[in-house]
Amino acid sequence: MNSNAVEIENVTLHFPKQKGLLKSLKNLLLWKNDKFTVLRDVNINIKKGEVLGVIGKNGSGKSTLLRIISGIYPADNGTCKTAGRISLLAGLGTGFSGHQTGRENAILYGSILGHDEEEMISKLPEIIEFSELGPFIDEPVRTYSSGMKARLGLAVASAISPDILLIDEVLGVGDPQFKEKSKKRILDLVNSTSTVVLVSHSFALMTEICDRLAFIHKGKIISVGDPENIIKLYYETTGA
Amino acid sequence: MSGESSEPLLIDIGIRGKPWKSPVVNILTLFRHRFLLRNLVRREIRGRYRNAMLGYTWAVLEPAMLASVYYFLFIMLAGNPDRLYPVWVILGVIVWSCFGKGLQATVSSLSRNGQTLHLVYFPRIIFPASAVQGNIIISLMSCLVVIPIMFIYDLPLTIYLLYVPASILLAGFLAIGLGMLVAPLNCVQRDAEHLFRFIVRAGFFLSPVMWTYEMAIERGALGEMVLFNPMVVPLTMARHGIAGENIGIPWFGVLGSLGFGIIMWVIGSYVFSRYEAGAVKHL
Repeated sequence: MNSNAVEIENVTLHFPKQKGLLKSLKNLLLWKNDKFTVLRDVNINIKKGEVLGVIGKNGSGKSTLLRIISGIYPADNGTCKTAGRISLLAGLGTGFSGHQTGRENAILYGSILGHDEEEMISKLPEIIEFSELGPFIDEPVRTYSSGMKARLGLAVASAISPDILLIDEVLGVGDPQFKEKSKKRILDLVNSTSTVVLVSHSFALMTEICDRLAFIHKGKIISVGDPENIIKLYYETTGA
Repeated sequence: MSGESSEPLLIDIGIRGKPWKSPVVNILTLFRHRFLLRNLVRREIRGRYRNAMLGYTWAVLEPAMLASVYYFLFIMLAGNPDRLYPVWVILGVIVWSCFGKGLQATVSSLSRNGQTLHLVYFPRIIFPASAVQGNIIISLMSCLVVIPIMFIYDLPLTIYLLYVPASILLAGFLAIGLGMLVAPLNCVQRDAEHLFRFIVRAGFFLSPVMWTYEMAIERGALGEMVLFNPMVVPLTMARHGIAGENIGIPWFGVLGSLGFGIIMWVIGSYVFSRYEAGAVKHL
Protein backbone atom coordinates (compact mmCIF):
# COMPACT_ATOMS: atom_id res chain seq x y z
CA MET A 1 0.00 0.00 0.00
CA ASN A 2 2.71 2.38 1.05
CA SER A 3 5.78 2.31 -1.13
CA ASN A 4 8.04 4.40 1.10
CA ALA A 5 10.74 2.76 3.18
CA VAL A 6 11.71 5.96 4.98
CA GLU A 7 9.56 9.03 5.55
CA ILE A 8 11.24 12.03 7.11
CA GLU A 9 9.00 14.96 7.89
CA ASN A 10 10.12 18.37 9.11
CA VAL A 11 12.99 16.88 11.05
CA THR A 12 15.01 19.41 13.01
CA LEU A 13 17.92 18.46 15.23
CA HIS A 14 19.86 20.68 17.57
CA PHE A 15 23.17 19.93 19.16
CA PRO A 16 24.13 21.38 22.52
CA LYS A 17 27.15 23.63 22.76
CA GLN A 18 30.00 22.79 25.07
CA LYS A 19 29.80 25.23 27.98
CA GLY A 20 31.99 26.37 30.82
CA LEU A 21 30.92 26.99 34.40
CA LEU A 22 29.88 30.65 34.05
CA LYS A 23 28.01 30.08 30.82
CA SER A 24 26.19 27.09 32.35
CA LEU A 25 25.14 29.11 35.38
CA LYS A 26 23.91 31.94 33.18
CA ASN A 27 21.91 29.49 31.10
CA LEU A 28 20.49 27.92 34.21
CA LEU A 29 19.38 31.32 35.52
CA LEU A 30 17.87 32.44 32.23
CA TRP A 31 16.36 29.00 31.68
CA LYS A 32 17.67 28.68 28.15
CA ASN A 33 20.09 26.52 26.30
CA ASP A 34 22.79 27.41 23.80
CA LYS A 35 22.57 25.15 20.82
CA PHE A 36 23.24 25.00 17.15
CA THR A 37 21.03 23.46 14.54
CA VAL A 38 22.44 20.55 12.60
CA LEU A 39 19.38 19.67 10.56
CA ARG A 40 16.68 22.18 9.72
CA ASP A 41 13.24 21.12 8.48
CA VAL A 42 14.43 18.14 6.55
CA ASN A 43 11.78 16.48 4.42
CA ILE A 44 12.51 13.46 2.31
CA ASN A 45 10.81 10.23 1.38
CA ILE A 46 12.86 7.26 0.31
CA LYS A 47 11.04 4.69 -1.76
CA LYS A 48 11.31 0.99 -1.30
CA GLY A 49 13.96 -0.43 -3.58
CA GLU A 50 15.61 2.91 -4.12
CA VAL A 51 19.32 3.69 -3.84
CA LEU A 52 19.62 7.23 -2.55
CA GLY A 53 22.94 9.03 -2.40
CA VAL A 54 23.53 11.93 -0.04
CA ILE A 55 26.17 14.51 -0.92
CA GLY A 56 27.29 17.66 0.79
CA LYS A 57 30.36 19.27 2.27
CA ASN A 58 31.96 18.09 5.49
CA GLY A 59 29.80 19.04 8.45
CA SER A 60 26.69 19.65 6.38
CA GLY A 61 24.70 17.05 8.31
CA LYS A 62 24.95 13.94 6.12
CA SER A 63 26.08 11.57 8.84
CA THR A 64 23.61 13.09 11.27
CA LEU A 65 20.81 12.38 8.84
CA LEU A 66 21.84 8.71 8.73
CA ARG A 67 21.96 8.65 12.51
CA ILE A 68 18.43 10.03 12.62
CA ILE A 69 17.25 7.27 10.30
CA SER A 70 19.01 4.61 12.34
CA GLY A 71 17.55 5.95 15.57
CA ILE A 72 20.78 6.98 17.26
CA TYR A 73 19.53 10.55 17.64
CA PRO A 74 15.83 11.16 18.07
CA ALA A 75 14.66 14.25 16.17
CA ASP A 76 13.92 17.33 18.24
CA ASN A 77 11.11 18.21 15.91
CA GLY A 78 9.28 16.32 13.22
CA THR A 79 9.06 12.61 12.66
CA CYS A 80 11.08 9.92 11.01
CA LYS A 81 9.35 6.71 10.02
CA THR A 82 11.09 3.65 8.72
CA ALA A 83 9.94 0.25 7.54
CA GLY A 84 11.95 -2.82 8.41
CA ARG A 85 15.31 -3.69 9.81
CA ILE A 86 17.95 -1.00 9.49
CA SER A 87 21.66 -1.32 9.49
CA LEU A 88 24.19 1.51 9.55
CA LEU A 89 27.67 0.90 8.23
CA ALA A 90 29.86 3.64 9.65
CA GLY A 91 33.23 3.97 11.30
CA LEU A 92 34.13 0.35 10.72
CA GLY A 93 36.14 -1.18 13.51
CA THR A 94 35.87 1.77 15.88
CA GLY A 95 34.00 -0.22 18.49
CA PHE A 96 36.60 -2.96 18.74
CA SER A 97 38.21 -3.78 22.04
CA GLY A 98 41.93 -4.20 21.50
CA HIS A 99 42.63 -6.86 24.08
CA GLN A 100 40.13 -9.35 22.69
CA THR A 101 40.81 -11.53 19.69
CA GLY A 102 39.45 -10.87 16.23
CA ARG A 103 37.01 -13.73 16.61
CA GLU A 104 35.66 -12.39 19.91
CA ASN A 105 35.40 -8.91 18.46
CA ALA A 106 33.55 -10.22 15.43
CA ILE A 107 30.98 -11.80 17.74
CA LEU A 108 30.78 -8.68 19.90
CA TYR A 109 30.43 -6.34 16.94
CA GLY A 110 27.88 -8.66 15.36
CA SER A 111 25.79 -8.66 18.51
CA ILE A 112 26.08 -4.88 18.71
CA LEU A 113 24.73 -4.70 15.17
CA GLY A 114 21.76 -6.75 16.28
CA HIS A 115 22.48 -10.36 15.39
CA ASP A 116 21.30 -13.08 17.66
CA GLU A 117 23.54 -15.91 18.74
CA GLU A 118 22.57 -18.53 16.15
CA GLU A 119 22.83 -16.08 13.30
CA MET A 120 26.29 -15.05 14.46
CA ILE A 121 27.55 -18.60 14.83
CA SER A 122 26.31 -19.55 11.40
CA LYS A 123 27.85 -16.49 9.78
CA LEU A 124 31.20 -16.53 11.55
CA PRO A 125 33.08 -18.80 9.11
CA GLU A 126 32.01 -16.63 6.20
CA ILE A 127 33.00 -13.46 8.07
CA ILE A 128 36.44 -14.84 8.89
CA GLU A 129 36.98 -15.95 5.34
CA PHE A 130 35.98 -12.61 3.89
CA SER A 131 38.19 -10.66 6.29
CA GLU A 132 41.24 -12.55 4.95
CA LEU A 133 42.79 -12.41 8.39
CA GLY A 134 43.75 -16.09 8.39
CA PRO A 135 45.55 -17.08 11.60
CA PHE A 136 45.40 -13.48 12.89
CA ILE A 137 41.72 -13.95 13.70
CA ASP A 138 42.74 -15.49 17.03
CA GLU A 139 45.22 -12.72 17.88
CA PRO A 140 44.23 -9.66 19.95
CA VAL A 141 42.90 -6.81 17.83
CA ARG A 142 45.46 -4.37 19.27
CA THR A 143 48.07 -6.16 17.12
CA TYR A 144 46.08 -5.42 13.96
CA SER A 145 46.89 -2.68 11.49
CA SER A 146 44.16 -0.15 10.79
CA GLY A 147 43.49 -1.80 7.44
CA MET A 148 43.04 -5.19 9.10
CA LYS A 149 40.61 -3.70 11.62
CA ALA A 150 38.59 -2.09 8.87
CA ARG A 151 38.53 -5.38 6.95
CA LEU A 152 37.18 -7.25 9.94
CA GLY A 153 34.66 -4.46 10.51
CA LEU A 154 33.42 -4.57 6.95
CA ALA A 155 33.29 -8.37 6.99
CA VAL A 156 31.01 -8.36 10.04
CA ALA A 157 28.92 -5.39 9.03
CA SER A 158 28.29 -6.61 5.51
CA ALA A 159 27.25 -10.10 6.60
CA ILE A 160 23.84 -8.76 7.54
CA SER A 161 20.72 -8.57 5.46
CA PRO A 162 18.68 -5.54 6.48
CA ASP A 163 15.67 -4.02 4.77
CA ILE A 164 17.28 -0.60 4.80
CA LEU A 165 21.01 -0.24 4.50
CA LEU A 166 22.74 3.00 5.47
CA ILE A 167 26.32 3.38 4.33
CA ASP A 168 28.50 6.18 5.64
CA GLU A 169 31.84 6.50 3.87
CA VAL A 170 33.03 2.99 4.40
CA LEU A 171 34.43 2.43 0.94
CA GLY A 172 38.11 2.60 0.26
CA VAL A 173 39.62 0.76 3.19
CA GLY A 174 42.56 -1.59 2.95
CA ASP A 175 44.95 -2.30 0.13
CA PRO A 176 43.87 -1.97 -3.53
CA GLN A 177 42.92 -5.64 -3.78
CA PHE A 178 40.73 -5.48 -0.71
CA LYS A 179 39.34 -2.14 -1.82
CA GLU A 180 38.14 -3.77 -5.02
CA LYS A 181 36.74 -6.70 -3.07
CA SER A 182 34.97 -4.48 -0.54
CA LYS A 183 33.48 -2.34 -3.29
CA LYS A 184 32.13 -5.48 -4.91
CA ARG A 185 30.79 -6.69 -1.57
CA ILE A 186 29.01 -3.42 -0.94
CA LEU A 187 27.64 -3.35 -4.47
CA ASP A 188 26.34 -6.88 -3.93
CA LEU A 189 24.80 -5.73 -0.70
CA VAL A 190 23.28 -2.71 -2.41
CA ASN A 191 21.83 -4.99 -5.09
CA SER A 192 20.43 -7.53 -2.65
CA THR A 193 19.06 -4.98 -0.20
CA SER A 194 15.97 -3.23 -1.30
CA THR A 195 16.59 0.26 0.07
CA VAL A 196 19.98 1.89 0.41
CA VAL A 197 21.07 5.32 1.60
CA LEU A 198 24.67 6.05 0.74
CA VAL A 199 26.85 8.87 1.96
CA SER A 200 30.04 9.28 0.00
CA HIS A 201 32.33 11.80 -1.57
CA SER A 202 33.02 9.51 -4.48
CA PHE A 203 30.77 11.12 -7.10
CA ALA A 204 31.77 8.64 -9.79
CA LEU A 205 30.48 5.77 -7.69
CA MET A 206 27.35 7.70 -6.76
CA THR A 207 26.35 8.39 -10.36
CA GLU A 208 27.00 4.75 -11.11
CA ILE A 209 24.79 3.18 -8.46
CA CYS A 210 22.36 5.81 -7.13
CA ASP A 211 18.85 6.29 -8.48
CA ARG A 212 18.58 9.73 -6.90
CA LEU A 213 20.91 12.08 -5.11
CA ALA A 214 20.08 14.43 -2.26
CA PHE A 215 22.22 17.51 -1.80
CA ILE A 216 22.42 18.67 1.77
CA HIS A 217 23.96 22.01 2.66
CA LYS A 218 24.19 23.60 6.12
CA GLY A 219 21.62 21.24 7.54
CA LYS A 220 19.04 21.73 4.79
CA ILE A 221 18.18 19.55 1.87
CA ILE A 222 18.68 21.86 -1.09
CA SER A 223 17.53 19.52 -3.76
CA VAL A 224 16.78 15.89 -4.56
CA GLY A 225 16.89 14.46 -8.03
CA ASP A 226 18.81 13.04 -10.91
CA PRO A 227 22.50 12.41 -9.97
CA GLU A 228 24.09 14.49 -12.76
CA ASN A 229 21.98 17.57 -12.10
CA ILE A 230 22.52 17.36 -8.36
CA ILE A 231 26.29 17.09 -8.72
CA LYS A 232 26.23 20.12 -10.99
CA LEU A 233 24.19 21.97 -8.38
CA TYR A 234 26.66 20.91 -5.70
CA TYR A 235 29.53 22.56 -7.54
CA GLU A 236 27.47 25.65 -8.28
CA THR A 237 26.53 26.07 -4.62
CA THR A 238 29.77 25.22 -2.91
CA GLY A 239 32.21 26.50 -5.52
CA ALA A 240 34.41 24.34 -7.67
CA MET B 1 15.29 -10.59 5.77
CA SER B 2 14.37 -8.76 2.57
CA GLY B 3 12.68 -11.81 1.14
CA GLU B 4 9.96 -11.88 3.77
CA SER B 5 6.45 -12.29 2.54
CA SER B 6 4.94 -9.80 4.98
CA GLU B 7 5.89 -6.25 4.11
CA PRO B 8 7.57 -4.36 6.95
CA LEU B 9 5.45 -1.49 8.16
CA LEU B 10 6.44 2.12 8.62
CA ILE B 11 7.27 2.69 12.26
CA ASP B 12 8.19 5.91 14.01
CA ILE B 13 11.84 5.80 14.84
CA GLY B 14 13.59 7.59 17.65
CA ILE B 15 10.40 7.45 19.68
CA ARG B 16 11.10 5.88 23.04
CA GLY B 17 8.56 4.14 25.20
CA LYS B 18 6.92 6.00 28.03
CA PRO B 19 9.58 6.58 30.70
CA TRP B 20 7.24 5.53 33.52
CA LYS B 21 6.96 2.09 31.97
CA SER B 22 10.72 1.68 31.82
CA PRO B 23 11.29 -0.01 35.22
CA VAL B 24 9.43 -3.04 33.85
CA VAL B 25 10.27 -2.64 30.16
CA ASN B 26 13.99 -2.47 31.00
CA ILE B 27 13.93 -5.92 32.55
CA LEU B 28 12.26 -7.41 29.47
CA THR B 29 14.70 -5.57 27.22
CA LEU B 30 17.68 -6.95 29.08
CA PHE B 31 16.30 -10.44 28.73
CA ARG B 32 15.66 -10.01 25.01
CA HIS B 33 19.17 -8.69 24.36
CA ARG B 34 20.95 -11.20 26.56
CA PHE B 35 23.38 -12.26 23.82
CA LEU B 36 24.58 -8.69 23.36
CA LEU B 37 24.64 -8.18 27.12
CA ARG B 38 26.78 -11.27 27.58
CA ASN B 39 29.27 -10.09 24.97
CA LEU B 40 29.51 -6.62 26.48
CA VAL B 41 30.01 -8.07 29.96
CA ARG B 42 32.78 -10.24 28.59
CA ARG B 43 34.44 -7.16 27.10
CA GLU B 44 34.15 -5.40 30.44
CA ILE B 45 35.72 -8.27 32.40
CA ARG B 46 38.46 -8.96 29.85
CA GLY B 47 39.28 -5.27 29.81
CA ARG B 48 39.78 -5.18 33.57
CA TYR B 49 42.45 -7.87 33.65
CA ARG B 50 44.07 -7.38 30.26
CA ASN B 51 47.81 -7.87 29.90
CA ALA B 52 48.08 -9.13 33.47
CA MET B 53 50.13 -12.26 34.03
CA LEU B 54 48.05 -13.21 37.06
CA GLY B 55 44.84 -12.27 35.23
CA TYR B 56 41.71 -13.26 37.11
CA THR B 57 43.76 -14.18 40.19
CA TRP B 58 43.70 -10.46 40.89
CA ALA B 59 39.98 -10.69 41.57
CA VAL B 60 40.90 -12.72 44.68
CA LEU B 61 44.28 -11.16 45.38
CA GLU B 62 43.12 -7.55 45.47
CA PRO B 63 40.50 -7.86 48.23
CA ALA B 64 42.76 -10.21 50.21
CA MET B 65 45.66 -7.76 50.11
CA LEU B 66 43.42 -4.80 50.92
CA ALA B 67 41.90 -6.67 53.84
CA SER B 68 45.33 -7.43 55.31
CA VAL B 69 46.18 -3.72 55.23
CA TYR B 70 42.95 -2.81 57.01
CA TYR B 71 43.56 -5.60 59.50
CA PHE B 72 46.88 -4.06 60.57
CA LEU B 73 45.35 -0.61 60.59
CA PHE B 74 42.57 -1.82 62.86
CA ILE B 75 44.98 -3.50 65.29
CA MET B 76 46.95 -0.29 65.50
CA LEU B 77 43.88 1.89 66.08
CA ALA B 78 41.57 -0.29 68.15
CA GLY B 79 43.68 -3.28 69.09
CA ASN B 80 42.67 -6.82 69.84
CA PRO B 81 39.88 -7.53 67.35
CA ASP B 82 37.63 -10.53 67.33
CA ARG B 83 39.07 -13.78 65.95
CA LEU B 84 37.03 -13.59 62.78
CA TYR B 85 37.75 -9.90 62.15
CA PRO B 86 40.00 -10.62 59.12
CA VAL B 87 37.10 -12.56 57.60
CA TRP B 88 34.70 -9.68 58.22
CA VAL B 89 37.06 -7.25 56.53
CA ILE B 90 37.74 -9.37 53.49
CA LEU B 91 34.01 -9.92 52.88
CA GLY B 92 33.38 -6.25 53.54
CA VAL B 93 35.92 -5.28 50.93
CA ILE B 94 34.49 -7.69 48.35
CA VAL B 95 30.86 -6.62 48.82
CA TRP B 96 31.74 -2.94 49.01
CA SER B 97 33.85 -3.00 45.87
CA CYS B 98 31.00 -4.69 44.01
CA PHE B 99 28.85 -1.71 44.97
CA GLY B 100 31.51 0.97 44.61
CA LYS B 101 33.01 -0.17 41.32
CA GLY B 102 29.58 -1.06 39.99
CA LEU B 103 28.29 2.40 40.86
CA GLN B 104 31.23 4.19 39.25
CA ALA B 105 31.00 1.98 36.16
CA THR B 106 27.27 2.70 35.84
CA VAL B 107 27.74 6.45 36.20
CA SER B 108 30.27 6.45 33.36
CA SER B 109 28.55 3.70 31.35
CA LEU B 110 27.22 6.05 28.67
CA SER B 111 30.14 8.47 28.56
CA ARG B 112 32.70 5.66 28.23
CA ASN B 113 30.87 4.04 25.33
CA GLY B 114 30.53 7.02 23.03
CA GLN B 115 31.95 5.12 20.07
CA THR B 116 29.54 2.25 20.38
CA LEU B 117 26.65 4.65 20.98
CA HIS B 118 27.31 6.39 17.68
CA LEU B 119 27.68 3.17 15.78
CA VAL B 120 24.22 1.74 16.10
CA TYR B 121 21.08 2.11 18.14
CA PHE B 122 20.07 -0.49 20.68
CA PRO B 123 18.29 0.01 24.00
CA ARG B 124 20.78 1.91 26.11
CA ILE B 125 19.81 0.30 29.37
CA ILE B 126 22.23 -2.38 28.21
CA PHE B 127 25.23 -0.16 29.02
CA PRO B 128 24.61 0.32 32.75
CA ALA B 129 23.44 -3.28 33.00
CA SER B 130 26.62 -4.65 31.46
CA ALA B 131 28.75 -2.40 33.68
CA VAL B 132 27.10 -3.71 36.83
CA GLN B 133 26.89 -7.29 35.66
CA GLY B 134 30.61 -7.28 34.93
CA ASN B 135 31.34 -6.13 38.46
CA ILE B 136 28.97 -8.68 39.95
CA ILE B 137 30.75 -11.48 38.12
CA ILE B 138 34.18 -10.25 39.22
CA SER B 139 32.96 -10.01 42.81
CA LEU B 140 31.57 -13.54 42.62
CA MET B 141 35.02 -14.67 41.47
CA SER B 142 36.49 -12.84 44.45
CA CYS B 143 34.18 -14.88 46.64
CA LEU B 144 36.26 -17.96 45.89
CA VAL B 145 38.44 -16.66 48.68
CA VAL B 146 35.68 -17.89 50.98
CA ILE B 147 36.72 -21.51 50.43
CA PRO B 148 40.19 -21.33 52.04
CA ILE B 149 38.79 -19.07 54.75
CA MET B 150 36.24 -21.68 55.74
CA PHE B 151 39.03 -24.22 56.18
CA ILE B 152 41.37 -21.88 58.05
CA TYR B 153 38.74 -20.67 60.51
CA ASP B 154 36.91 -23.99 60.61
CA LEU B 155 33.54 -22.45 59.71
CA PRO B 156 30.42 -24.59 59.28
CA LEU B 157 29.04 -25.21 55.80
CA THR B 158 25.38 -24.18 56.00
CA ILE B 159 22.62 -23.07 53.72
CA TYR B 160 23.25 -19.53 54.98
CA LEU B 161 26.40 -19.47 52.86
CA LEU B 162 24.06 -18.51 50.01
CA TYR B 163 23.82 -15.11 51.68
CA VAL B 164 27.30 -14.38 50.32
CA PRO B 165 26.37 -14.41 46.60
CA ALA B 166 22.97 -12.91 47.49
CA SER B 167 24.64 -9.97 49.18
CA ILE B 168 26.72 -9.33 46.07
CA LEU B 169 23.61 -9.34 43.90
CA LEU B 170 21.94 -6.90 46.28
CA ALA B 171 25.00 -4.63 46.28
CA GLY B 172 24.98 -4.65 42.47
CA PHE B 173 21.26 -3.91 42.40
CA LEU B 174 21.70 -0.96 44.75
CA ALA B 175 24.50 0.32 42.51
CA ILE B 176 22.63 0.19 39.20
CA GLY B 177 19.59 2.18 40.30
CA LEU B 178 21.69 4.93 41.81
CA GLY B 179 24.10 4.94 38.87
CA MET B 180 21.38 5.16 36.21
CA LEU B 181 20.07 8.26 37.91
CA VAL B 182 23.24 10.17 37.03
CA ALA B 183 24.58 8.32 33.96
CA PRO B 184 22.85 10.73 31.50
CA LEU B 185 24.00 13.74 33.55
CA ASN B 186 27.56 12.48 33.36
CA CYS B 187 27.43 12.76 29.56
CA VAL B 188 26.63 16.46 29.85
CA GLN B 189 29.08 17.34 32.60
CA ARG B 190 31.67 14.88 33.84
CA ASP B 191 31.41 16.36 37.32
CA ALA B 192 29.03 13.56 38.25
CA GLU B 193 31.82 11.03 37.78
CA HIS B 194 34.18 12.92 40.09
CA LEU B 195 31.51 13.46 42.70
CA PHE B 196 30.63 9.78 42.73
CA ARG B 197 34.26 8.78 43.05
CA PHE B 198 34.27 10.79 46.26
CA ILE B 199 30.95 9.32 47.40
CA VAL B 200 32.32 5.81 46.94
CA ARG B 201 35.47 6.66 48.93
CA ALA B 202 33.53 8.32 51.75
CA GLY B 203 30.91 5.60 51.78
CA PHE B 204 33.68 3.07 52.34
CA PHE B 205 34.28 4.53 55.80
CA LEU B 206 30.64 5.31 56.55
CA SER B 207 29.57 1.76 55.74
CA PRO B 208 30.52 -1.28 57.80
CA VAL B 209 33.50 -2.32 55.68
CA MET B 210 36.29 -1.93 58.23
CA TRP B 211 33.81 -2.15 61.08
CA THR B 212 30.71 -4.28 61.53
CA TYR B 213 27.04 -3.71 62.20
CA GLU B 214 27.44 -5.34 65.62
CA MET B 215 30.19 -2.90 66.59
CA ALA B 216 27.81 -0.03 65.82
CA ILE B 217 25.01 -1.61 67.83
CA GLU B 218 27.31 -2.02 70.83
CA ARG B 219 27.72 1.74 70.85
CA GLY B 220 24.11 2.09 71.96
CA ALA B 221 20.90 3.46 70.49
CA LEU B 222 22.64 5.67 67.94
CA GLY B 223 24.10 2.52 66.46
CA GLU B 224 20.77 1.62 64.89
CA MET B 225 21.07 4.75 62.80
CA VAL B 226 23.41 2.82 60.53
CA LEU B 227 20.35 1.03 59.15
CA PHE B 228 19.65 4.20 57.19
CA ASN B 229 22.60 3.12 55.06
CA PRO B 230 21.21 0.56 52.60
CA MET B 231 24.64 -1.04 52.20
CA VAL B 232 24.63 -2.23 55.82
CA VAL B 233 22.31 -5.08 54.90
CA PRO B 234 24.37 -6.73 52.13
CA LEU B 235 27.61 -6.27 54.08
CA THR B 236 26.19 -7.81 57.26
CA MET B 237 24.34 -10.50 55.33
CA ALA B 238 27.56 -11.77 53.72
CA ARG B 239 29.32 -11.93 57.09
CA HIS B 240 26.54 -13.78 58.85
CA GLY B 241 26.23 -16.09 55.89
CA ILE B 242 29.82 -17.29 56.11
CA ALA B 243 29.53 -17.68 59.88
CA GLY B 244 26.51 -19.90 59.29
CA GLU B 245 23.97 -17.62 60.93
CA ASN B 246 20.80 -15.83 59.87
CA ILE B 247 21.00 -12.16 58.85
CA GLY B 248 20.78 -10.74 62.36
CA ILE B 249 19.35 -7.40 61.24
CA PRO B 250 15.81 -6.33 62.19
CA TRP B 251 13.30 -7.06 59.42
CA PHE B 252 12.62 -3.38 58.76
CA GLY B 253 16.30 -2.91 58.06
CA VAL B 254 16.32 -5.67 55.43
CA LEU B 255 13.08 -4.41 53.94
CA GLY B 256 14.43 -0.87 53.93
CA SER B 257 17.50 -1.86 51.96
CA LEU B 258 15.52 -3.92 49.44
CA GLY B 259 12.94 -1.15 49.18
CA PHE B 260 15.65 1.43 48.61
CA GLY B 261 17.05 -0.73 45.82
CA ILE B 262 13.67 -1.10 44.16
CA ILE B 263 12.82 2.60 44.50
CA MET B 264 16.21 3.53 43.05
CA TRP B 265 15.65 1.10 40.17
CA VAL B 266 12.27 2.69 39.44
CA ILE B 267 13.51 6.29 39.68
CA GLY B 268 16.81 5.46 38.00
CA SER B 269 15.06 3.71 35.11
CA TYR B 270 12.68 6.61 34.70
CA VAL B 271 15.39 9.26 34.68
CA PHE B 272 17.66 7.17 32.48
CA SER B 273 14.97 6.54 29.85
CA ARG B 274 13.80 10.11 29.96
CA TYR B 275 17.20 11.69 29.43
CA GLU B 276 19.53 9.20 27.69
CA ALA B 277 18.55 10.28 24.19
CA GLY B 278 19.36 13.91 24.84
CA ALA B 279 22.48 13.07 26.78
CA VAL B 280 23.99 11.10 23.92
CA LYS B 281 24.17 14.31 21.87
CA HIS B 282 26.76 15.61 24.30
CA LEU B 283 29.17 12.77 23.61
